[in-house]
Amino acid sequence: MNPRILIAFLALFLLTFLKAGAEVPRDMTTLPLSGGLPVQVRTGLYFIDVESYQEHDGTFAATVDLRLKWKDGRLAYDLKTAPSGFVEFRDDKALAKLAEQWAPLVELSNSVGDPVFQNQLLRVYPDGQVEWLRRVKGQFRSEVAPENFPFDHQQLAVHLTVRNENERRVTLDFRQDDLDFSGVESTVNIPGWKLGLVNISRSPIAGFYGESNARLIAALGISRALGPGLGPIFIPLMASLLIPLMAVYMNKVQDGEFQIEAFELSNIVIGGLFAVIALNFTVNSDYPALGAGDNAVSRLFGLNYLVLAAALAVIVLLFRFNIVGKYCGKYVQEQLYLYIVWAAPVLVFATAAAIVLIAAS
Amino acid sequence: MKFRRDAPCILIGSVVLIIAALSFFSNRLFSGLTGAVEEKQFNLIETILTSNLEAAQDKALARAEILARTPEIQASLAARDRAKLLADCAPMFAVQHEKYGMDQCQFHIPPAISFLRLHSPNKFGDDLSVFRPMVASVNQDHITRKGLVIAATGPAIFGVAPVPNPSGEGYAGSVDVGLDFGALLDALKASYQLDLALFAEEDPLKKFSPDLAASAATEDNRRGKLIKLHSTQWDLMKSLVGDADLKTGETRFYIRKAFGSTYGVVLLPLRNPAGEPFGVLAAAQDFSASRAASGRSIVLQILLAIFAIVLLAGAILVVLRGYITRPLQMLNERFATLAGGGDPTPVETSEPWCDEVRDLAETYEKLRTRATREHP
Repeated sequence: MNPRILIAFLALFLLTFLKAGAEVPRDMTTLPLSGGLPVQVRTGLYFIDVESYQEHDGTFAATVDLRLKWKDGRLAYDLKTAPSGFVEFRDDKALAKLAEQWAPLVELSNSVGDPVFQNQLLRVYPDGQVEWLRRVKGQFRSEVAPENFPFDHQQLAVHLTVRNENERRVTLDFRQDDLDFSGVESTVNIPGWKLGLVNISRSPIAGFYGESNARLIAALGISRALGPGLGPIFIPLMASLLIPLMAVYMNKVQDGEFQIEAFELSNIVIGGLFAVIALNFTVNSDYPALGAGDNAVSRLFGLNYLVLAAALAVIVLLFRFNIVGKYCGKYVQEQLYLYIVWAAPVLVFATAAAIVLIAAS
Repeated sequence: MKFRRDAPCILIGSVVLIIAALSFFSNRLFSGLTGAVEEKQFNLIETILTSNLEAAQDKALARAEILARTPEIQASLAARDRAKLLADCAPMFAVQHEKYGMDQCQFHIPPAISFLRLHSPNKFGDDLSVFRPMVASVNQDHITRKGLVIAATGPAIFGVAPVPNPSGEGYAGSVDVGLDFGALLDALKASYQLDLALFAEEDPLKKFSPDLAASAATEDNRRGKLIKLHSTQWDLMKSLVGDADLKTGETRFYIRKAFGSTYGVVLLPLRNPAGEPFGVLAAAQDFSASRAASGRSIVLQILLAIFAIVLLAGAILVVLRGYITRPLQMLNERFATLAGGGDPTPVETSEPWCDEVRDLAETYEKLRTRATREHP
């Protein structure tokens, strides 16, 4: 081949290659690495509203503002082009802009179903600082801790989880500014509950091959307001304790001999048993969390069943078969009965009070 | 004395006294254990605070020493070339400020004249010897120093290092690095779930950080002569720390309730290198778990005491009355009838009496049989 043609061909190839290289757009969707790894995404969450709290299924409906801030030096621009100090995009435009650049994939990982609505606000500052504000209205699942019911505190938590990157590449962090942002609107009102503080804590979750993914939990603390609403649970629970005690008290003893038929008294206890079972079903269907774990209500139910069993034992062994009378004499039996009449209520109500006080402690 | 009434009273009274005393001592023991656990927790919080403050001072000093040992920086400072020094250090300061909480970095020339502030390059030439005695000392004896100081930007954690001439002979000046308290407190919150607040005295703030003092001195932030400058959860901390709490100049531990929970609070006085207090670092941790355990143990101890008293009282009453006084009462009535010449009622000797009562019952039966035989 003619060397001149060869040189011209090579020059043309080189020129084409360089031109093509110059036109390759910069990929802005990759991790912004100018600040090193991990990319720190500063996170804050504000509770705009808590529409409802469904204690029975451990969910709450809320509107929250999630603020994510990070720095992407590739987005830096001349301050003069933004007189307001930042460039702002809203909703669809914000989403379109986010599609062109890297943004952390922070999922509200304890949300139930899809959010009702989402608003977006994106601000890009001249130094490449990005602020992404998402207003999300949705339903969130939050574990109910009924151990101290009715003196319980619950956490309405929103879990913010980074799914697509491990913690060594993207981490969620918070500083004073984010803690100041994280709060609750003063107009929020949850009937039957008092509002507490919003707390943020780190709680990484397991990723692939022993890695961990960043997760922050922003939780609004609430404490139950003690009120008349608790009456329908505690009044029947305390009243039902009287049934077996009454069954024992109803008997009479004369010169060491019982006067009332054990059959009649055992009927009272059986009736009490059905009453407690019915109450148990009612409470469990209204407050499933109370039936699932150890708490004051389940302990009071336990006490009810125990006292019913004890009353039945007294009726059968003492009144029907006179076990004590046979082995220790009728006067010992008489004195034992007189003792049970006052000691049983003392012990039962002391235990019930202790159960309630332990829940309050 | 009526045995039927007084004997059980004396015995039950003794039981009540003994069990009450045992419960009291056991309660003291449990309270002591809970107190010891909380004391350990307080000491741990104090150690976390002091060790992190110490580590932050070391970090500040390490950075200052790196700068002081860099030949280009030594040469620029020795040549009093402010522009070159700024050009050499500005990119470093930008990264350190953004990522690692370096709040201030300043070069000085003897005796303690500000030569270049990387955080405020246009301000220089002022004498620091009055409010930065640490800088004056380093420039005097050329020995590194570290400590907590109120500077122009507020309280910060400083390390100051002397900068030698590049030739190795003579002395070019000094450099200090100041780390932001806020970054440290935020990191402590994230790592240990402690809530913290930094308070500084208003007078030195007004003197050395007038801009900061003016912006921070709101009524909500004021606690006596101290001003809150930074807090990870101010709503909580302002309920836990009051004017009177901050008056003491010593480390203080106490427990207080807020927002339905019990918190352990540690107040750590902050002192400048001369040992003068200039502020307080307050840290709070939720102690609800240990307090709840303590409350539960008190309730359970009282309940156990009630059970013990009632059950022992039952044993006393049933045994004394069932085996002794009630059969005696019955026999007494029958003897009385017999002695009065009435119609005596037989005693059921098949009853499981105790031996002493059985003897008496049998004696009664003999008397009754004889009386019935003699007067049918």
